Amino acid sequence: MIQKDNIAVKIVCFLASVVVVFFLPLYSLVLWISKLLNHEIVWELDDRTGPVRRFLVRNWLGSNATAQQHRIFIYFLLPSFSAFFVFVTVPFLHGLFLSLTNWSGLNTGSEVFIGLQNYVVIFKDARFAYSLYRTVLYSVMNIFAINVVAFFLAILVTQELRFKNIYRAGFFMPNLIGGLVLGYIWQFIFNRALVSASEFFNPSLLISGETALLGLIIVVTWQYAGYIMMIYVAAIQNIPQDLIEASKIDGANAWQRLKTITLPLVAQAFTVSMFLTLVTSFKQFDTVMSLTQGGPGAIMTHWIGSMYGLVEMPVVQSTNLIAINIYQEAFSKYQMGVGQAKAIVFFIFLLAISLLQVYYNKRREVEL
Amino acid sequence: MKKLIVLLVVMMALFSLTACSADEEPVEEPKSLVIFQNKVEIDEVMRTYAEAWGAKNDVTVTLKTCGGDACAYGTQILAEFQANEQPDIFVIEGMGGYNIYKDKILDLGGAAWTADTELEFAVDGTVYGFPVAVEGWGMAYNKDILNAAGVDIAALEDVSQAEYEEVFKKIQAYYDTNGMDDYVVVSMAAGAGMHWVTGLHNFNGYLSAGLDYSDSTVIDKLNNKEVDTDRLNQLANWAELLFTYGDKTILTTGTYDDQVGTFAKGKAAFVHQGNWTDSSYADSDFEMGYLPHATMTEGNDKIFIGAPSYYVVNKDSANTEVAKMFLEDLAATAEGHDYMVNKANMVPAFNSVTLTPKTPLSAAVMEWNQAGKAYAWWQNDMPSDFGMGTLGPIYELFAKGEITKDQFISQVTAAIKQ
Repeated sequence: MIQKDNIAVKIVCFLASVVVVFFLPLYSLVLWISKLLNHEIVWELDDRTGPVRRFLVRNWLGSNATAQQHRIFIYFLLPSFSAFFVFVTVPFLHGLFLSLTNWSGLNTGSEVFIGLQNYVVIFKDARFAYSLYRTVLYSVMNIFAINVVAFFLAILVTQELRFKNIYRAGFFMPNLIGGLVLGYIWQFIFNRALVSASEFFNPSLLISGETALLGLIIVVTWQYAGYIMMIYVAAIQNIPQDLIEASKIDGANAWQRLKTITLPLVAQAFTVSMFLTLVTSFKQFDTVMSLTQGGPGAIMTHWIGSMYGLVEMPVVQSTNLIAINIYQEAFSKYQMGVGQAKAIVFFIFLLAISLLQVYYNKRREVEL
Repeated sequence: MKKLIVLLVVMMALFSLTACSADEEPVEEPKSLVIFQNKVEIDEVMRTYAEAWGAKNDVTVTLKTCGGDACAYGTQILAEFQANEQPDIFVIEGMGGYNIYKDKILDLGGAAWTADTELEFAVDGTVYGFPVAVEGWGMAYNKDILNAAGVDIAALEDVSQAEYEEVFKKIQAYYDTNGMDDYVVVSMAAGAGMHWVTGLHNFNGYLSAGLDYSDSTVIDKLNNKEVDTDRLNQLANWAELLFTYGDKTILTTGTYDDQVGTFAKGKAAFVHQGNWTDSSYADSDFEMGYLPHATMTEGNDKIFIGAPSYYVVNKDSANTEVAKMFLEDLAATAEGHDYMVNKANMVPAFNSVTLTPKTPLSAAVMEWNQAGKAYAWWQNDMPSDFGMGTLGPIYELFAKGEITKDQFISQVTAAIKQ
């Protein structure tokens, strides 16, 4: 009799289950495919074979050396592909399905398929449009602020300074503090410390819906600029010294060197940093949650409301960025279906934006 | 080679099947009980009580707590259900919670404790929830300040908005003449994270003030998207009065600690909070009590009392009998009473309890409750997130003076009709 809470037995059971549910089907699939390909069906080419089929058999399906070699790559791909499939593709498709139901979040299986109704709800929702608008506004300003500050810091710490490693570590440090903790600290700084320090900071940035976004940008820039700075530092250090020396001999001043040597040669780092800041800005969640809880309240921007035919603009939460909006839909209103649909819309939106960004940056890289 | 691998895999599979199915065989297990509750402040004493009860009844009790600022109970319990770490006893907050979890909640009809209370949670005559405690809020006052300012407290037990305005003016004048610059008249928070004070507690006045305890007309209207304009106007006047005499810093950026701390230090005449704040007053050396909210223009003579949350038993749990026994003992045994009243400083909902709470505001709530002076709680029967997510920001803008009283009224009207 095996003891019930024997940990070793549990581990063996777990591993064995992994083998059974995961690798066994995988292995039989491979066997099956190879059997299918090599033994049972004979792929023959004759004069009547069309070009497509000819190509497939020559390169992938036939028993000639080229095809066999290509197939080996597919076999090697299978383990990581199946992991990707199980942990990314399946949950994604499941989410896609849930966005088409009225699921409330409890595992009762009582959800009903309602087609695209959730998506209709979203596109009729002025508050969602407002969230999207605020997110875009926030992201644009945030990307700009972080990259400018980070690039400036990177230039600074690559100069011949005495304690430049300490500065680098110092600027990087805020990135090691968790976003939630940071939010609470800065909430105190904005609402209490700065207010009592000087009349200039009174009222606090976080009180008004107009300025709260600015407060958030300050905090996130403070947190994230150090990290992006590291990317720029690496790129700047990779610039060949002989270029700089040559330009100095030619009499180029600091600004000219920056413009014609440094900037073009860090273009690649610029692409990476833009992408990182873009994605983190759009997905901003934890810092907002602790700094402003989505607030403070504000009257909805007029043109968004009138787009939806609202006469009186409703009161909305001014830092209700899209990630917060999705979270509240799912966990405060218990509308998992709608929340999931919002997440899908957000995913497509973010995918489009980041593809565009990478495409244009890559093109600029070539130009520079 | 191929065959060897196949053999190996098949052997592994067989082994795992036999090993794991051996696991499934019934083993005589010690009984266990998982409680998932939402009151951070009673976590420690409840753990002590529950573990002592467990030791006595040979049950392994696990208590999980999630609540307050740091942990969103609704989110967490949803996650626990989805992760299949299902608690045996969990907490719902009124009808809203029931509607979300109704497929999970066991019918508790026939339990002995139901005869001992009027506040059990029932839907269509079927009992589902065990009232955790009676709670109440009103205008908690600092007796020392009111006496010093020359306010007649007894006269305020049936109070109008005009009378409150007089009182607030009097207190402000008392502060001004004595140079008490850092004293506040009303400690009330309306900013981010404190929307429950305004959107739920203050707004409940609109739903219940001046009505019978079981009168649900206004909340029914709200759920049918209808507005009682007259009541809303009166509520707006009351909110305006509170915001006028509320401390601006606490109002706009105050946290729970700011709001309650100011009162606890004896620097506020009134605090807009319930008796759950009692745990903050251990070092407070002044007498306190409750006066009614003046939500209606006049004739306010009761405070808001109800059972905010109920223990419910998970229908799918294997330990329903143990869970029922736990609740029964909590309501009926001397240890249970001692835990609720003396340890957790709660006001029990059960008539057989003869102990009185030691903490000031709980005692005050018990007093108002025993006198039958209670307005109902309907705030949890509003749609999910309506109070905190929709009304809270409107109150916040009003408190900051960014919208006028008329805009406040039209915003709330629009929100209800939406």
